[in-house]
Amino acid sequence: MTLPLLVVLSLLNGCAEKEKFIVYGSTQNESEVEALIKEEDYVDRSTVIQYDDSMLVAVQIKPWEKWKKTKLEKKLQKKFEKKYPNKDVFVSADYKIFYEANKIKKDQMEDTKLSDKITELKELAKEET
Amino acid sequence: MEKEQYQQLEQNVTPKPPYLKNVAKAFFVGGFICAIGQAVSLFYIIFFNFTEATAGNPTVATVVFFSMILTGLGLYKRIGQFAGAGSAVPVTGFGNAVVSAAIEHRSEGLVLGVGGNLFKLAGSVVLFGVVSAFFVALIKYILVTIGVVSW
Amino acid sequence: MVILFQTKPSLLAGGVVAGPLENRSVFSQYFDSVYDDERWQMKTNEQGHRKMIEEACEYAMKKMGVQKGDIDYLMGGDLVNQMTPTNFAARDLEIPFIGLFSACATSVSSVIIACLLTELGAANFSLAGASSQHNAIERQFRYPINYGAQKPQTAQWTVTAAGYALIGKHREEYPSIEAATIGKSVDYGMDDPFHMGAAMAPAAFQTIQSHLQQRNQKIYHYDLILTGDLGQLGLKLLKGMLVENGVKNEELTLLRDAGAEFYGQDEAFQSGASGAGCSAAVFFSYVIQQMRAGSYKRVLLVATGALLSPLSYQQGETIPCTAHAIEITMK
Repeated sequence: MTLPLLVVLSLLNGCAEKEKFIVYGSTQNESEVEALIKEEDYVDRSTVIQYDDSMLVAVQIKPWEKWKKTKLEKKLQKKFEKKYPNKDVFVSADYKIFYEANKIKKDQMEDTKLSDKITELKELAKEET
Repeated sequence: MEKEQYQQLEQNVTPKPPYLKNVAKAFFVGGFICAIGQAVSLFYIIFFNFTEATAGNPTVATVVFFSMILTGLGLYKRIGQFAGAGSAVPVTGFGNAVVSAAIEHRSEGLVLGVGGNLFKLAGSVVLFGVVSAFFVALIKYILVTIGVVSW
Repeated sequence: MVILFQTKPSLLAGGVVAGPLENRSVFSQYFDSVYDDERWQMKTNEQGHRKMIEEACEYAMKKMGVQKGDIDYLMGGDLVNQMTPTNFAARDLEIPFIGLFSACATSVSSVIIACLLTELGAANFSLAGASSQHNAIERQFRYPINYGAQKPQTAQWTVTAAGYALIGKHREEYPSIEAATIGKSVDYGMDDPFHMGAAMAPAAFQTIQSHLQQRNQKIYHYDLILTGDLGQLGLKLLKGMLVENGVKNEELTLLRDAGAEFYGQDEAFQSGASGAGCSAAVFFSYVIQQMRAGSYKRVLLVATGALLSPLSYQQGETIPCTAHAIEITMK
């Protein structure tokens, strides 16, 4: 009796409305950033971390669009650079970056630690092997 | 009995391989092995500092390690008899080919035995993999230079 | 031409030794010994193979109370390159030795030569037989043991067994060899090493037909016609060829195959057993014992062999096969 109930519950869990677009850090242009991302229909979920002048945009591309992951990543990067030329923006479609970005939000990191973490993630995303 | 007649008789008596069943078995076992590979990959991404791009190397190493253990214990050949291509095509199959050859030729020493025969079965994979990768890259380079596709 | 043995040399004893997997054989109760280590506690498979041959010969000699010094000739072979396990066993047995290669038909071809020497008066006692060890031969002909290649339903399993018979001058109470036929190398265009039964059936058919014709016999003159290792499919093909030749279905029940029956109905062994040791193990244990017990009075043993090599297959050649037959009678 408990096993089918468990299965049903775990399946239904996926149906719950998860927060798909998260923006963390300085709340200046939160809604603006969110709207910018929502425009692009290939983005499934996204977590943006910003601190002062640096912005980390971690996105998860929709499954079928994943074939063009790098192209879409670059497109989104250009879009953000155009919108915020005075900010240091970094866009990544990598799952690791997204996961770490969510962890930042969960742990509610602040100030220097936040800034360091963002720099660390940007370095990590650039690694090739 | 004439040769042609016999060949006809042989065709009639020999059972046809159960293609559909074999395809299904290969599909599910191959998929399962790849699912395990995905789990290993996620493990490295979440618990270590690997990104999706860099997790490939440790994932393959770990999966080949599993295949090595299974081959040494004599279990991989049972999976192979059941799954056919489902266990031969993933990188675990490559690991199995190399490790089984190593085990077999241990009796002739390390240099001539193991060293000389290690890639007896897997050598073709390495050779044709590298050669075809070269040609595919060459074709892509030509197409990009012409302007048909972009990087 | 059929060979007729006027002095009718006798099959005085059989020594059969098998490996651990062969404990699952329906014939295991007839074997002299089933060892629990397929390498006989030696370092390599090939060394274990040699040990197995020596033990089989020892059992055969012990049953008649003879020593290796009493044996005039040793005839035998196996499937390993240059037949080294048999050569090395001959070294330890210290008997004048000629190695024979008829692939899986060696069990009978060696008996034929031994009988000819006995008939000639050149031998009082000789040992004849064949053997195979699964690991050593898979490595030789196919893939490493632990490789995960998928075998089709038509494949056969090479047994780990050695069977050697002690041949001597005629004695009334023992099964005796009346006639023999040496087979040709027959090729019907089969080229699949995983479907040996299909390649060997025509050779068995030709030898059986030739023997029966030359001896003016029909199948029903025999209590049993036992082929070596055609496997379930090869046996079906042989029966099909015989039916096409006018043999009645009732007579076909006298036709059996050692390889097809070796592991019973176990599907893990696909089409059945094969290997030089398959025919040797069954012929020199089950058949001899059944004949001495009075179950069979006239038997035709037809060992079949596929004369290919891994190289010939890779070079795209077909598989020529041979079959040798001995006619054994019991008073």
